[in-house]
Amino acid sequence: MAGENTIPAHALERLKGLRGQGHPGGIFTSDFSVNEFLLVRKAGFEPVGLCVGSCIYHVGIQYGNWSKNEEMGVLSQAMYHARELAMARMREEAADMGADGVVGVRLTVKRLEWDSNVLEFVAIGTGVVHAAGHAGFKGPKGGPFTSDLSGQDFWVLLQAGYRPMEMVMGSCVYHVAHRGLFKTLGQVGQNVELTNFSQALYDAREIAMERMQHEAIAANAEGVVGVILHEGSHNWQPHIIEFFAVGTAVTPITTEKDASTIPDPQLVLSVNG
Amino acid sequence: MALFFKSAAEKAADAQRKESAAASALRMDAWDTALARGGLPPFVQQRLEDAAERKTPWLSTMTAAELLLVRTHGARPLATVAGTCWFQFGRSWTEGHASGWRTALERLVIEAKACGANAVVDVKLKTSASEGASMDYTLIGTAIRFDRLPPSPEPVVATTSALEFVRLLEAGIVPVGIAVGAQYDWLTDNTVGGLSGNVFSGNQPLNTLGRFWEGIRRYAHAELRRDAARQGNGVLAHTHFGQLLKQEVEKQPDRYLGRHIVVGTVVEVERGASVPLKIESVVDMMDDLSPLVRESTKPSMPYLNDEEEEAI
Repeated sequence: MAGENTIPAHALERLKGLRGQGHPGGIFTSDFSVNEFLLVRKAGFEPVGLCVGSCIYHVGIQYGNWSKNEEMGVLSQAMYHARELAMARMREEAADMGADGVVGVRLTVKRLEWDSNVLEFVAIGTGVVHAAGHAGFKGPKGGPFTSDLSGQDFWVLLQAGYRPMEMVMGSCVYHVAHRGLFKTLGQVGQNVELTNFSQALYDAREIAMERMQHEAIAANAEGVVGVILHEGSHNWQPHIIEFFAVGTAVTPITTEKDASTIPDPQLVLSVNG
Repeated sequence: MALFFKSAAEKAADAQRKESAAASALRMDAWDTALARGGLPPFVQQRLEDAAERKTPWLSTMTAAELLLVRTHGARPLATVAGTCWFQFGRSWTEGHASGWRTALERLVIEAKACGANAVVDVKLKTSASEGASMDYTLIGTAIRFDRLPPSPEPVVATTSALEFVRLLEAGIVPVGIAVGAQYDWLTDNTVGGLSGNVFSGNQPLNTLGRFWEGIRRYAHAELRRDAARQGNGVLAHTHFGQLLKQEVEKQPDRYLGRHIVVGTVVEVERGASVPLKIESVVDMMDDLSPLVRESTKPSMPYLNDEEEEAI
């Protein structure tokens, strides 16, 4: 069986039940899956520890004008500020453990059942260091980079000649105007565009994306990959929605790789389906 | 008078019932003494020893593909092994969970040792519905042995499937065990305005509550590290679950209860070693869901990850 030789000797030693002699590098923790772990290591990085930042936030109260399309400034600010605090605390944890960056960052918002105005924001990801100590992978201002890309996507991104800089986001909570009674009655049964609704969605999305783009500019990024536009409502009145744009700002590794040097993915057709 | 006299068949059935009742009482006694001294009842010991000597057919939770892979890497399944602990968590929900899991893990390892295994793979964590303040913690997996290795004094426990177990071994990474960290604490609210703000508070981070909550989480993670350090040098595939609850009692200050538990797979890995696996990027030309993309292969964990509840 030729395959037997593919397991390294030290792994077999460990399987014999011999304990490792101490762990000079200390312990790392991460929420990577097996595949993510292998790919992050393949990319030349080692996990150092799970980085978490959380923020329990009291969201102020704001009522929308019934007949007006408008941004809900108080809510927008709360959603952004709370996430930013959670992210900042996560970055701080990463910096404390000497990480070059954080990959696989996930942002969550949880309602606490005892108070509808209190939200828990959490940012969580795995801090990594370059295994060979390469210093060129830091984020903006020499701090750790942050990215919501999974371990797999991280490997692919580096293959493409880019490195992550910062997870960027933009938030806009928007009140969509109700339609007036007479207008509604006047248009009963007709095919018409409800322009105020269209405009509201356009405007809110636009504001969220602009804000995200500003963050990307501030991070000196070339572009943003994996942009997700998330539409949600966090227990607000009807007609209030949040547009949340999030993605990873990236920049070329030192100088941009010539496209011809990047291996093309092999096309396959799986016939075992 | 047939009513008053039992027929021979009925008598035989009676005797059999008594016999089987006695047998099951014996089995229960055997379990009692075995669990009390941290060992196995003779019949389980026998089953596992037979499996070790390959006298009986092996039992495995592996799929056919996994069987193929462990065979090509020189390993064979031995037996399905398990560890169970029905544990009552007294005052602490989370710490009770942690000790329930640890006891179940010890028992799984005892069974694995009995059948001369090198490793237990595909270990699943299971719980059955809790009854009030107690719950069952069960670990089930497949014990395997490498043909050219002697039985291990301390078999490793891997929550990864056999497929991933082999892939990790090829990269020089050994999944060795399961680590648990847990913490809970109370916070009494003695402030006038209330720690979670009121209608006049406006936008603001609730820092006292936030610090309390972070402290609990940090402690649970520190304990996870301590637990992992006994076994290996890294933790993968966390699952974590936390709750922050408020308790309101009349004429008393509000109290907050925070609890957090983390469970992860412990690995032993040479830091900085390169990954020898060759990776080729492919694009599947299928229009529908590609067969290359299966559902998540994360290890089975009985807790809902916080993220799964509500994303972004």
